[in-house]
Amino acid sequence: MENKYKILIIDDEEVVLNSCSEILAGGNYHMATAANGTVGLKLVQEFLPDLVFVDLKMPGISGFEVLEKICAFDPTIVTIVITGYATVNSAVEAMKKGAYDFLPKPFTPDELRLIARRGLEKRTLVLETIALRREKEMLREHFAAIVSHELKTPLSAVQQNLFALIAALSSKLTEDQKTLFGRMTSRIDDLLKLIHTWLRVISVDVEKIKERFAPISVTTSISKAIESVQPHATRKDIEILTSVEEPLGLVHGDEGTLVEALVNIIGNAVKYSRVGSQVLVKVEKKEDNILISVTDTGVGISKDDLPFVFGDFYVGKSSHMVERGSGLGLAITRRIVEAHDGSISVESELGKGSSFMIRLPALKKDLHNQTTLDAELCSNSQKGVT
Amino acid sequence: MSQQKRLLIIDDDPDFVEGLKSILEAADYSVDAAYNPKAGYQALETKHYDILLLDIMMGRGAEGIMVARKLNKDPKLREIPVLIITGIREQIAFLFPGQAVHPHFMPVDELVEKPVEARLLLDKVSELLHRAEARKKAQTT
Repeated sequence: MENKYKILIIDDEEVVLNSCSEILAGGNYHMATAANGTVGLKLVQEFLPDLVFVDLKMPGISGFEVLEKICAFDPTIVTIVITGYATVNSAVEAMKKGAYDFLPKPFTPDELRLIARRGLEKRTLVLETIALRREKEMLREHFAAIVSHELKTPLSAVQQNLFALIAALSSKLTEDQKTLFGRMTSRIDDLLKLIHTWLRVISVDVEKIKERFAPISVTTSISKAIESVQPHATRKDIEILTSVEEPLGLVHGDEGTLVEALVNIIGNAVKYSRVGSQVLVKVEKKEDNILISVTDTGVGISKDDLPFVFGDFYVGKSSHMVERGSGLGLAITRRIVEAHDGSISVESELGKGSSFMIRLPALKKDLHNQTTLDAELCSNSQKGVT
Repeated sequence: MSQQKRLLIIDDDPDFVEGLKSILEAADYSVDAAYNPKAGYQALETKHYDILLLDIMMGRGAEGIMVARKLNKDPKLREIPVLIITGIREQIAFLFPGQAVHPHFMPVDELVEKPVEARLLLDKVSELLHRAEARKKAQTT
């Protein structure tokens, strides 16, 4: 940092102010002093110090009050307490009020220099942490907006003009030409979907789905997911077999995102399966958990890749042979399952196929009655409002 | 056949607008375009339009929503049917998955996602025009 650090000393003894200033003068700091709390607090606002030494025992407003007010003004300012009556009690009390450290009188010049340096290091760390956190937050929020506008806008315009062209030429195009157009629009469509997926991973807080949790049926979620994947499977002549061990009971969750997670897993199984093969979806209840497994006999995942499949942007090495994915489906799936207090795991052998297992905690019977009732009450009261 | 219907598109991307315009003009609509909310609002105040096609994400954010709110406060302009054409649906859809997202900014409105296929666009436009007419009839009788 280019800027000189600013240190303020608040103490009613002129001797202390002068000696401290002198000792720290060699340290390349901007110094300011105040002889009482009132002047000190005024200086805090005008001088904007990085570090403040505060005498605990002063006439007028007390050191404790000064500490509190500094903290209220800017909690990132590091405060160190100086006092003659160095008892453990006052030290603890000062720390509680937000003081970073404690300097008992009398102290040597080296003690003062050391504690000042430590205090400023703390200040630097605090400021850096805040800056990084803010940057991360901004990146997260703004990235969504930037990607959304800068990438999607031109793509939408291209697609819209293609649609216009297709409509205008519809009676004149040969079947082959229509296929060419179809290829263009479908690739642009894929690209738009890919951008949406990235956007979701980066800008959407999966934890938020917890606010909508209600008792839901896993069986329903699975049949909805299969329904959504079915056309793709039919095209590849892949049979999706299901084995559901009823009664399963319910889980506490959000159906929309749970279906999405299942669509990702079952969709992957279809995507990485060979034409004419089978995908098995099995659901059973074991103790307090509902276990869902999706097994295919497709390309499989190599041992080296297995640890990374649930990370962001993982795309299988063999995937150039089949369809390429965004590399985010499993990452989203893992986040959704974890938000449901569940877990996901995988077993696979290259060339032989993969098996994905999702474990979700089942709702306990009595509890589920209660929550169902709550959910009903809740939805009734909502109806009343609208 | 009734006379040619007049459409206004408010969208800040002229290239996208051309794509819409070409489809709509081929279906015998008369199409005007405004490339920002202000110009769009002025056009609505000075000329009569049968339907408005409105983009949401314009300028510094969701300025299209502001346009819809402003129109809704105007007793005359709030009767115009609005087709919202936007790219934001997917993001909303993640928060409300499986639900049809309906804007409900105006008495007669509907939402389609950007980009929109020719058939769907024309269907939505004529559907909204019919709904607006039916509403008008119901109000006068």
